[in-house]
Amino acid sequence: MTVLVPRSDVAEFRKRYKWMSLFVLVLFCAVAVRLFQLQIISGDDYAAMAHENIVRRVTIQTARGILRDSQGKILASSRTSYDVYIAPMKVLPSALPQRNHRGNRIADAPDSLPKVAEVLRMPPDEREKLSIRIREACATYDGRDKGSPCGRQILIREDVSRDIISELEQHRNELAGVEVVPTPIRFYPHKHLASHLLGYISELDVDALAKYRPDGYESLANEEKERVNPLGYDRRDRWGASGVEHAWESHLRGKRGWEKRVVDAWGKYRTGPAAARLLDAPQKQEPISGRNLRLSVDIELTQVIEKEMAPYRSGAVVVTEAQTGRLLALYSKPNFDPNAISPGGSGGVEARKAYVRELYRDAYLPLLDKTMSGAYPPGSTFKPFSALAALESHAINPDATNRCDGFIRYGSKTKPLRCTHVHGSVNMHAAIAQSCNIFFFKLAEATTLDPIAKVAAAFGLGQRSGLSVSPEASGRVPSRAWYALRHSANYFHKGFTLNAAIGQGDVTVTPLQLAMAYAAIANGGNLYEPQAVVAIETSDGVPMQEFEPRLKNKIAILPDHLLRIHNAMRDVLNSDEGTANAVRDRLLDVAGKTGTAQPGFHPNPNEDAKIQWFRSRNHAWFAAFYPSRAPEISVVVLVEHGESGPQHAAPIAMRVIREYQRLKTTRAGKPKP
Amino acid sequence: MSTRDTLLSRLRDNFDWVLFVTASALAMIGVINLYSATSVAKAPLNEVYLQQIYWLVGGGLFSAFVASIDYRHFERYGYVLYGFGIVTLILVFILGREVNGSSRWIYLGPVGFQPSEFMKLFVVLALAKYINTDARAEGRTIRELIAPTMIAGLPAALIVLQPDLGTALILGLIFLSILSMLRIQARTVGQLAFLAAAFVPAFMSFGMLGFQQKRIEAWLNPDKDIAGINWDPHHSRIAIGAGKAWGAGFMQGTQNQFRFLHEQYSDFPFPVFAEDWGFAGALLLVGIYLLLVLWSIHIAASAKDRFGAALAIGSGSLIFWHAIFNLGMVTGLLPIVGVTLPLFSYGGSSGLTVMIAIALLMNVSMRRSSLSTITFAR
Repeated sequence: MTVLVPRSDVAEFRKRYKWMSLFVLVLFCAVAVRLFQLQIISGDDYAAMAHENIVRRVTIQTARGILRDSQGKILASSRTSYDVYIAPMKVLPSALPQRNHRGNRIADAPDSLPKVAEVLRMPPDEREKLSIRIREACATYDGRDKGSPCGRQILIREDVSRDIISELEQHRNELAGVEVVPTPIRFYPHKHLASHLLGYISELDVDALAKYRPDGYESLANEEKERVNPLGYDRRDRWGASGVEHAWESHLRGKRGWEKRVVDAWGKYRTGPAAARLLDAPQKQEPISGRNLRLSVDIELTQVIEKEMAPYRSGAVVVTEAQTGRLLALYSKPNFDPNAISPGGSGGVEARKAYVRELYRDAYLPLLDKTMSGAYPPGSTFKPFSALAALESHAINPDATNRCDGFIRYGSKTKPLRCTHVHGSVNMHAAIAQSCNIFFFKLAEATTLDPIAKVAAAFGLGQRSGLSVSPEASGRVPSRAWYALRHSANYFHKGFTLNAAIGQGDVTVTPLQLAMAYAAIANGGNLYEPQAVVAIETSDGVPMQEFEPRLKNKIAILPDHLLRIHNAMRDVLNSDEGTANAVRDRLLDVAGKTGTAQPGFHPNPNEDAKIQWFRSRNHAWFAAFYPSRAPEISVVVLVEHGESGPQHAAPIAMRVIREYQRLKTTRAGKPKP
Repeated sequence: MSTRDTLLSRLRDNFDWVLFVTASALAMIGVINLYSATSVAKAPLNEVYLQQIYWLVGGGLFSAFVASIDYRHFERYGYVLYGFGIVTLILVFILGREVNGSSRWIYLGPVGFQPSEFMKLFVVLALAKYINTDARAEGRTIRELIAPTMIAGLPAALIVLQPDLGTALILGLIFLSILSMLRIQARTVGQLAFLAAAFVPAFMSFGMLGFQQKRIEAWLNPDKDIAGINWDPHHSRIAIGAGKAWGAGFMQGTQNQFRFLHEQYSDFPFPVFAEDWGFAGALLLVGIYLLLVLWSIHIAASAKDRFGAALAIGSGSLIFWHAIFNLGMVTGLLPIVGVTLPLFSYGGSSGLTVMIAIALLMNVSMRRSSLSTITFAR
């Protein structure tokens, strides 16, 4: 072999090595500094993040409290709905792009969607729509993006039957990507009955979410989260939207617990001692189950009310215990089926939306709780309060008679105010029993407006009662000051007083207010706060906390005056001339007052003629207490636009009272549950 | 004195123990770390450490062979080998198989090769050969740098087309490292800097593909899209940081054990190591790399000819840039470019390339003696 080439001169390079070494040293030092920063300075932070990666708080669900009526019957409970979800990329792998970002094939699995559709008996057009939706969601999926809609589960069926569940179970091998999730849903066994009182469940609305989960909520400390959102509401959570469900939400809801589980990057749970060692204390927070509530209402009584109200389109019935203010029935018509509004009920989201839409369109306002959210002119049911005001202010002699010719002239007006009846010579007793407007006009002239307003206010009329079941209308009992404020100082004239005395004009009350006021007349002047929930109970029905009746106002009124009113109201039924004499029942000692109130009707040309006719009719009222000598309950019946109090409202009230008595007698022998 | 005696005595007297020990230490730690890294992976990934051992043994034998041939033989065949490399790069486009969206591989039966990896060595050889005969007393002008630039530029362009920006970048940096040995006019340096200042932003906005731009973007916003493109860098940082001062212990790092680190055997073995062994272990490892690179400069400084020096600098810079880029990207200092950690990452071609680079260093180091007898063969 030949001699290799001579060595070349390396002098050119000599000076460079030092600088190269320095350069290398600097760069490695930069790496070392970075490592110091990551591992020493921020080591604890990263360790915390690493811990967060592998430890997941798994929510432990809690059960919502049960609502029971006074007899222990279940009014609202939770049951399990089986909802079917599908994972788009797994049921329809053919919708995925052929390759992921690495160029590897994403999936070769067969589509399971046809089988899913078959088992769920999905109509072809729905299946087609679903498949288009999945194809759109998965068109750009590259196998990486975890937030892609392609990976997000779709809810396709709610509350499927057991048969279909077992069929899904049978064909599990052919149904990749299908998951059946049991979800607790609310169940109201009595459907429409007492729906306004009980309320319904809905998903949290945007405002509530903004309140409980304000911007930046996720980054708050745990204590801070607890303060802002004590019940731990989450997105898409459900809560009580109305009625007792809403008012007692904090008791009913309970609180979810959590348990820490070790989980890997693919979402797989790891168990065993090695995994358990990684969990830090506290490892578990037990859930707090929702409290069960005992309501004062009697659902059997409500059933009867529902039956008696059947001939009428719209109205309200309130039955309350005269000595406690506890509500035995709170009934508003038309009502709704809370099962059909609350999420999870059969029929699915679309059916629910359609149902709610229908409820909103209904001219008879089924979503309005007419017992407390609507205020109506009370008509003659207001007269006992006018009479009490006259007695208390000594404006009239109750025994003096007055002539009723069927009309009255007052002030400078030449045209007389007419009345429907000519009662002849009547005193106050007869005027109440026969509901003589002319007498009350004269009584009003003598008493003036303010004493009437004062007495009515003392009985809670024109004021919110304090029952937080539905949004409460305050109603109105006008005074001179109110007219001055509302209109002007000179606006007032005597006609307002006359109208107010017979419960017309600007006077409006809610049926609930009237029931509480009549209870106060009955019990000697004790105005109670209405009460729907009487106790919080443990799951086995033992009361944990009982709520005492709350006296709102002890009305200062002479017993003699009340007695006069009682006697007059008894004669409403018992005297031959009494307005409700027709419904009198010799076995039932009822005192009451009828009312036929003119609604403030304004014709609206845009409305259906039938509805307009309906709206133009008078409200039919009957307010009563029973038994009149030892009152136990007060009953108010309003048949909205029912035309005549004596003919339409009074019979219903009588039947309710009869049913109350029957239930009381039949239950007397049995121990209270 | 027989040839055999010469060889043996040369082995005994001139064997570079520092180089051998540092490289072997890295390879051994690397295998142990691979065992930890893939311990929870599914088969066949969980046997990657065995594969690595086979490669190390096979590669080691081949490296011994490379080290035993006097490097001046490589000088003679420098351009031939370079030409061979270019041909394989062109073959990639014809025979290549697409993996991860680019064609980098040629398959000979079941074994895949990445010609771009070996091309780094061929470029080093060719540049060293060019420099060997191109000694200057004066600084070079930009015109005189055209030829070496072409030597590196041609394969770099082919590799960019694959597209494999990471490897092309390393190739360019190796070229610059060798260039930095040369006397260059100050004016030329200025001109080159100007060209670079003009070329780099232009390339970044026009020459880069979508996913490459996305990686830069992701690097600039490290907290965005953690579930997607930033998954690897984010969890890599967490794993390193979570190791703290002393680490979780061998096979105890949770982020690897709970499968948050992907590519933990190829581009991201360092986070596994840093999580298991902490700052102490990571610093030791970085120290070994530093020692290896500094030692390769030392070998270049004691080389007796220009070819040997350039070969040592080229091989050393190959290891250096790989290490810096890999450590930089896993710690978040640099964007994600698919660059392996020498002797630590699993990878046949890249592993073999690094072993050959070390063999070349050994070769130059063993022949630094000025004994006249070794300037001749046979």
